[in-house]
Amino acid sequence: MRILVVEDEKKTASFIRKALQAEGFVVDVCLNGNDVLAAVSATSFDGIVLDIMLPGRDGLSVLRQLRGQNNTTPVLLLSARGEVNERVDGLNAGADDYLPKPFVIAELVARIRALGRRSGETKSTVLRLADLTLDTVAHDARRKETKIELTAREYLLLEFLLRSAGRICSRMAILEKVWDYDFDPGSNLVDVYIKRVREKIDDGFEPKLLHTVRGIGYVMKETP
Amino acid sequence: MTIRTRLNLWYAAVLCLTLLVMAGLSYNEFVVEKRQPKQAEKDSASQDMEDLVGILCVTVLPAVVLGLVGGWWLTRQALAPVAAVTRAAGRIHDRNLHEQLPRSGNGDELDQLTEVFNAMTARLNDSFQRIREFTLHASHELKTPLTILHGEMESAMTEEPLTASQRERIASELDEVQRLAKIVDGLTLLTKADAGQIQLKREPLQFDDIVRDIFADAQILAKPESIQVQITNCEPVTIQGDRHRLRQLLLNLIDNAIKYNAPRGLVTIALARVHEHAELIVTNTGPGIPQTSLPRVFDRFYRADPAHGDAVEGCGLGLSIAQWIVSAHDGQIQIVSQPEVKTMVTLRLPTVKAEVKAV
Repeated sequence: MRILVVEDEKKTASFIRKALQAEGFVVDVCLNGNDVLAAVSATSFDGIVLDIMLPGRDGLSVLRQLRGQNNTTPVLLLSARGEVNERVDGLNAGADDYLPKPFVIAELVARIRALGRRSGETKSTVLRLADLTLDTVAHDARRKETKIELTAREYLLLEFLLRSAGRICSRMAILEKVWDYDFDPGSNLVDVYIKRVREKIDDGFEPKLLHTVRGIGYVMKETP
Repeated sequence: MTIRTRLNLWYAAVLCLTLLVMAGLSYNEFVVEKRQPKQAEKDSASQDMEDLVGILCVTVLPAVVLGLVGGWWLTRQALAPVAAVTRAAGRIHDRNLHEQLPRSGNGDELDQLTEVFNAMTARLNDSFQRIREFTLHASHELKTPLTILHGEMESAMTEEPLTASQRERIASELDEVQRLAKIVDGLTLLTKADAGQIQLKREPLQFDDIVRDIFADAQILAKPESIQVQITNCEPVTIQGDRHRLRQLLLNLIDNAIKYNAPRGLVTIALARVHEHAELIVTNTGPGIPQTSLPRVFDRFYRADPAHGDAVEGCGLGLSIAQWIVSAHDGQIQIVSQPEVKTMVTLRLPTVKAEVKAV
């Protein structure tokens, strides 16, 4: 996948590039808003990471022009302002996703992968990881055929983690997807719920599936 | 015209009027009455005395009364603009500094005073504005280095080889970067709220549903701390509000009630409809807040007990944000505390009027 990163802060652009390259993406970097349209017309990208605050033209106006030219390349907006209204503005202007700064790189990577999949992927109804299965139609979770009782919130959390299996989910992403919170509640809500889900799916079973990535978030995978 | 000139003119007018009345009455007494023949002139000395008292009563008394009323009117006229300016100045506080006192426009001393006063509040308003802009810019500028710091540390953590202790150290540093980011986010939110730049998405909401939802989270949050959470009342009530902000508010209140509780303590939640208001009362059995600290708990970064500042983590802006959310919904929030017994947070939000609900 080829990604265009539009970010004027050289250091930020550099670690985004490194992180994406480490994940096997081909990355082009553009340091200002004026050059984006030329770059996009010359090369076909699978996704664009677009900072809103840019010298020259700002990200939102670049995005509007892109969409005005019927360019449907998935766009992930980055913003230092992190404001609710701005999120809505961005999505209205045609962005596919939005991430406020400072962000977790693992999450940026996960979201870019999700952008690529967004078109055409059919959602599987039964999610599997090792011997853990989650039937999203019957709302039935089992580990080695043992039925696991989950509350509604725990079920949503497990479904979100399983759908992102193998990728790190930051606390903020979990709050957004499972609780529909657009703010950090400043409590250890996520950690407490993770602990409960872990007790239900991992206690007494091997291998352990739900892992903590210190300082970043949580991930579901077979190998620690 | 200056106040002195105006007062002098008014005073002269009152004086003239008094003298005129006195002269008129004296004329009546001395000239008109004297013309009428006296029936009896037995004791002229006592008669003169009686005449004098009579004259004094008839002429001087009305003049004195007139002088008093005139004087009272004069001072009232002179001080009325002062009272108006005093009332207007009393309404000024840090949020409406841009409002100006009304000027009479006649150029007298008070008008000049009002002008100077208005210029002063305008200067103060400018300074407040600059401080707000400074905080807004500062919190925005801080985000770029924080993003870089977070990104580079995160990359460092995935780089091999790394010993367990090195990894642990980076992770703990990352925690602090995230805490810093939270503080910056909170500051940005409050500064924008101060500047009136945040618009709430208000819609009719079943407040009791939100309360029940938060109650479920509260039970989960409280379990590891062996704290019991009860909901004693949850009457159906509709309010006009922003769902996200209200959930943020309730979660903050509940989180505080759990964090600042006694071991194996109790948290109770009660929602009732009281006089066109939704009244939510959250009570906990914590060590409480000293009376002297109560008025300041909503201040930014204020900690009632500095010694416990580190024991309970938080960004120090939670209650300030809570207070902003409440006032943005035209509500009130109040904290009452009996140290070592209980602390009660009362939240009042206006309910939706029946006709609005029907639409």
